[in-house]
Amino acid sequence: MNAFGGATAGGTRHTRARSSDRLRSAGIVLGVIVGVGTLVLPLGLSAAQLTVYVLLGTATMVTVGVSLLMGYAGQVSLGQAAFYAIGGYTAALMTIHGLPSLLGLICAPIVAGVVAGVVGIPILRLRGHYLAFATLAMQLILLSIVAQVDFFGGELGLNGIPLLSLAGKELSDPRAYAYVVWIGVALVMLVTHNIIASRPGRGLRALATSETAAESAGVPVTRYRLTVFALSAAFAGLAGAIYAFFLGYIAPGSFPVLLSLEFVVMAVVGGLGTVWGPLVGAAVITLLVQWLNGLGTMPGMPAYASVVFSYAVYAVVLIGVLLFLRRGLLPTAVVMLRKVTRRRTGGPVGSVESADDDVPVGGADSSSSVDGAEDGDGHIGSPAGSEAGR
Amino acid sequence: MSAFLTYLISGLAIGCTFALVGSGFVAIHRVTRVVNFAQGTFAVVAGMMAGSMLGHGLPHGLAEVIAVVLAGACGLAAGVIAIGKPGTPTLSSLVITLGIAIGAYAVEIVVWGDQPVSYQMARGSVDIAGAHIQTQYFVVIGATIAIFIALSLFFSRSYVGKALTACASNPYAARLAGINPIRMGLIAFTVGGVLGGLAGVLITPLQPVTFDADVALAVNGFAAAIFGGLNKPSAALVGGLVLGVTEALVAGYYNASYQTEVALGLMLAIMIWQARKRLSVVEEVH
Repeated sequence: MNAFGGATAGGTRHTRARSSDRLRSAGIVLGVIVGVGTLVLPLGLSAAQLTVYVLLGTATMVTVGVSLLMGYAGQVSLGQAAFYAIGGYTAALMTIHGLPSLLGLICAPIVAGVVAGVVGIPILRLRGHYLAFATLAMQLILLSIVAQVDFFGGELGLNGIPLLSLAGKELSDPRAYAYVVWIGVALVMLVTHNIIASRPGRGLRALATSETAAESAGVPVTRYRLTVFALSAAFAGLAGAIYAFFLGYIAPGSFPVLLSLEFVVMAVVGGLGTVWGPLVGAAVITLLVQWLNGLGTMPGMPAYASVVFSYAVYAVVLIGVLLFLRRGLLPTAVVMLRKVTRRRTGGPVGSVESADDDVPVGGADSSSSVDGAEDGDGHIGSPAGSEAGR
Repeated sequence: MSAFLTYLISGLAIGCTFALVGSGFVAIHRVTRVVNFAQGTFAVVAGMMAGSMLGHGLPHGLAEVIAVVLAGACGLAAGVIAIGKPGTPTLSSLVITLGIAIGAYAVEIVVWGDQPVSYQMARGSVDIAGAHIQTQYFVVIGATIAIFIALSLFFSRSYVGKALTACASNPYAARLAGINPIRMGLIAFTVGGVLGGLAGVLITPLQPVTFDADVALAVNGFAAAIFGGLNKPSAALVGGLVLGVTEALVAGYYNASYQTEVALGLMLAIMIWQARKRLSVVEEVH
């Protein structure tokens, strides 16, 4: 059961290895540049821009989970904002009732993960479309319950959530939250990278391709599916906690169904089953929406312009990527880059290779997005060594 | 007793609209294997279109027909985008229909605004056993019965309907018999659009429709369709009626705000129960 197909293709192996080595190191350099760049960036941002930065970061954290779920475990979740909400409410309620905010931050992903683990036992019996609707239903039920229970603040939500404090210092500067988010994103990406590179990660790929085959090869299918579901929920929970501390106010209206769909859009656009794809997808979508927001609030524009623009962006980008760049932006870019470098190194573009590259891969289709996953993950830099590979 | 009768009939009427949305899901899914997330959108588009046509002074009947035709055209357009490109995986198609639903928000807000739309269809009420019941409920129930009879005749008697059924039961064999599955898929999407549109036209007089009402309609319709495993229109009718009456009774005797949970919980329970059944069938076969 070798899930890594095509990496070694006959006679052109050496050329390919050389060019992919070069790409890999280019990817690592790029990864470091992005990492350092995003670390320096908050220093030069205004308060409004910092808000975008933080929200982009939390969206990335959730999207990494969605991408892992869709790309690796072949499950579509249309209710990921539910776990975002659970994280936010956990952190908010704990700190409002006098517990230390750091404890809230730590408990948020745990609670979200545990809820997903419990809910997942019945729900993950479902597959494909059924699962997608079940997750959506789960979110609607959760929102409806939260809106009716006074303990959760009801329809009005929770006000006056205390600030996050670390080592006895309250974080009141938005810049501090930018760094908290940076650490959160890095952590989530690191965990995902290590899972993908590990033995369970290979099991997951096999599972996404064919559940029956994976099961017969000894992959504990049910347990793995549940674990990935819980893990993606934990990512969302952590993001939700940061969101709650940053804004200081959450309500059922903060977590609409549309938010869940946004995460799916970001995951699909960036490239499913990749570590860096969600960052690309979240950044592209968030910045595009921000830019159009600015355009929509210009004088002379009708009042609804910015809302309409954002809906239109989600729709056009999502459909466009699914129809024409099925792997998503990042994997497509990597494939193009690889072709360019190969041509430049003068390596023979063997028929085996090109056939290998041009295989049409499905975006949301789990089995084929696995290829996209390899392209994206294997060659664009990875945040850390894969000790988990053992 | 009169209260019960009111709840029962209003529940049946609401359930009929769920059944219409649900049968749209079925019509599309059985041929294309795609669950069309934009199914609620067709209802919203038709409801709003009928509202603005009536507002412009068009007579009843004509306004509704135009609205349903528009919904059918939207269904066709959605089908072209979702399955028109050969080789689109079904799960991609699901996410594409999701995109269509979001994109429709933009169009709906520009054309009709973001305020709820409603209009009157049948005025007055009928007294039965001491209960005041809006005439509109009976209009909805009667229309739905007629639509389902027409639908079953369409699928069993007409040439296109038979071809659709053939595609649903075995796409490969249907292709061998000279039926083009993609064209059939597009026809299925159009039929789905028309059914969604009919639901929208009928439900708008009962509950005002906003641009984002499609999620609730789609979820309830899906819950209705799931009764028959997304493959039998008649089961969607039964499912819709059960769901509508349950919701109305919960809202009437207990608390209106819990009706969503009840409906969704019922849907989840049925899906999980069916999945268990399916798995055991698979095990038996192997």
